[in-house]
Amino acid sequence: MKRVVLVDDHELFRAGVRGELEGAVEIVGEAGSVAEAVPLIRELDPDVVLLDVHLPDGGGEAVIAAVAQERPGVKFLALSVSDAAEDVIGVIRAGARGYVTKTISREELKDAVARVAEGDAVFSPRLAGFVLDAFRAGEPVGADAELETLTTREREVLQLIARGYRYKEIAARLHLSVKTVEAHVSSVLRKLQLSSRHELTRWAHERRLV
Amino acid sequence: MTQISALPFERSDDDRVVAGVAGGLAATLGVDATLVRLAFALLALAGGAGILLYFALWVYAAGRRAWAAEALVVLSALALLTALGLSTAGVLGAGLLVAGIAIVAARGGSLRPGGSLPIAGIALTMAGAVVLLSHLGASGSLLAPGAVAGALVLVFGPWLWQLWVERTERIRLVERAEVAARIHDSVLQTLALVQRDAHDPARVASLARRQERELRRWLYGGGFGSADTLGDALAEAAADVEELHGVRIELATAGDLPLDDAIGQVVLAAREAMTNAAKFSGTRDVSVYAEVGDDAVSVFIRDTGAGFDRAAVASDRRGISESIEGRMTRAGGRAIVTSSAGEGTEVELTLPRYGAS
Repeated sequence: MKRVVLVDDHELFRAGVRGELEGAVEIVGEAGSVAEAVPLIRELDPDVVLLDVHLPDGGGEAVIAAVAQERPGVKFLALSVSDAAEDVIGVIRAGARGYVTKTISREELKDAVARVAEGDAVFSPRLAGFVLDAFRAGEPVGADAELETLTTREREVLQLIARGYRYKEIAARLHLSVKTVEAHVSSVLRKLQLSSRHELTRWAHERRLV
Repeated sequence: MTQISALPFERSDDDRVVAGVAGGLAATLGVDATLVRLAFALLALAGGAGILLYFALWVYAAGRRAWAAEALVVLSALALLTALGLSTAGVLGAGLLVAGIAIVAARGGSLRPGGSLPIAGIALTMAGAVVLLSHLGASGSLLAPGAVAGALVLVFGPWLWQLWVERTERIRLVERAEVAARIHDSVLQTLALVQRDAHDPARVASLARRQERELRRWLYGGGFGSADTLGDALAEAAADVEELHGVRIELATAGDLPLDDAIGQVVLAAREAMTNAAKFSGTRDVSVYAEVGDDAVSVFIRDTGAGFDRAAVASDRRGISESIEGRMTRAGGRAIVTSSAGEGTEVELTLPRYGAS
């Protein structure tokens, strides 16, 4: 069973998630702040950290920054009520392997945790929309053209995610295997994290209020 | 009235050359002790002012004989002024001025209606100002009015300051009341509804989501006002449908643009499609995705519910043909409804952007 650490400053929310994931994963630890989370993750070395984007003493980004280097095996899944593109893109670029909103259903959350534990990326429809917006077609490309644009296939996959399709449905629609769909999503995640263009930051900043 | 709070000052036991006064002061002020010692040394050159000040702080730190410390401070100040080249008259003027202000402050120097009027203090201040100004060689015609004005500023200054502080406080209270009213109108009302409808999870969830959106829009979006972009309008429509039908609508957007008549029609068609999904699909989850491309605006409304066979829908049911397809056609776009029994329904609305950059 996958070992999971829960980082969220709302105890009620943690209790809810714990209840939902019961039986599917093993919740080995919980933390309510960056200061609590960092030593806990170092000590427990879990498979997945479910990470709130906003914490009282910093953000999810701070936790990832403090832990990722020495615990490369730990996967982070951002879980937030935040709609702000800046927050979402920020935590993804810091190294989270996915972002889901807190209104996610129980089954989807279980699926997302399992996927992230396997090293795949998890995009909620909202994040897919943000990414499509950030990598607009026809925008000038930066130094590394391969990193700065999405392929047609990646765009198609992201659009279907944004429209609410599951990976299996996307695979069927595009006549691909589920593994290939996962590979496309992981590739988009990599571009999002490695892309050097400053427009991404500026874009996220402009979209903060949406 | 206003009191200058005493600094928590103690002589330093670890960092001392004579009595630890400089070390203690440095710790209190958060500066380097050497700097403080240098300041004392320089002041000592000014007619011994530094030495007197050192003793004053020593006495003060001992915690007794406050008057002795004060007297030493005054003596130190006089020594400094003399050293700076002020004549006895100048020193006297400055002394009177300080004493006058001190008395005004001690008596609660306030000229508000009903406040006490510290005449002695004002008189001393004015006298001090006159002596000082005459000593500094101001011309006679300016002297009296100048001194009076200066004294009044010194006396009224704290009062004006206080007035300003009270004003900002009042503004803060008004803002607070506004926030409280907003919270009452929205959040508290919603919480009341949640308690009443606690037996109905779908209703509670939709209430909570609607409230969340409203609060978020107010916090981040600058007001409860009606939407003026496609994204905001879709969010509003989604929130309404959620509340009316107890479904959960996941809204994603890529790009946005201002509302106009045609875009407004797209929003209305999308709303109708969301309502259909909520009412007929049998599922509680609906996905909405809006994409603003360079040459078209597209909105997808999808559910994974029962789906339907178009041919089997009674022809007098005008929801799809009129409210969705007809509306989109009139706006210059089109609507495509894809559905099959058991596999859910997706409505795609597309509106070309003529002349868009």
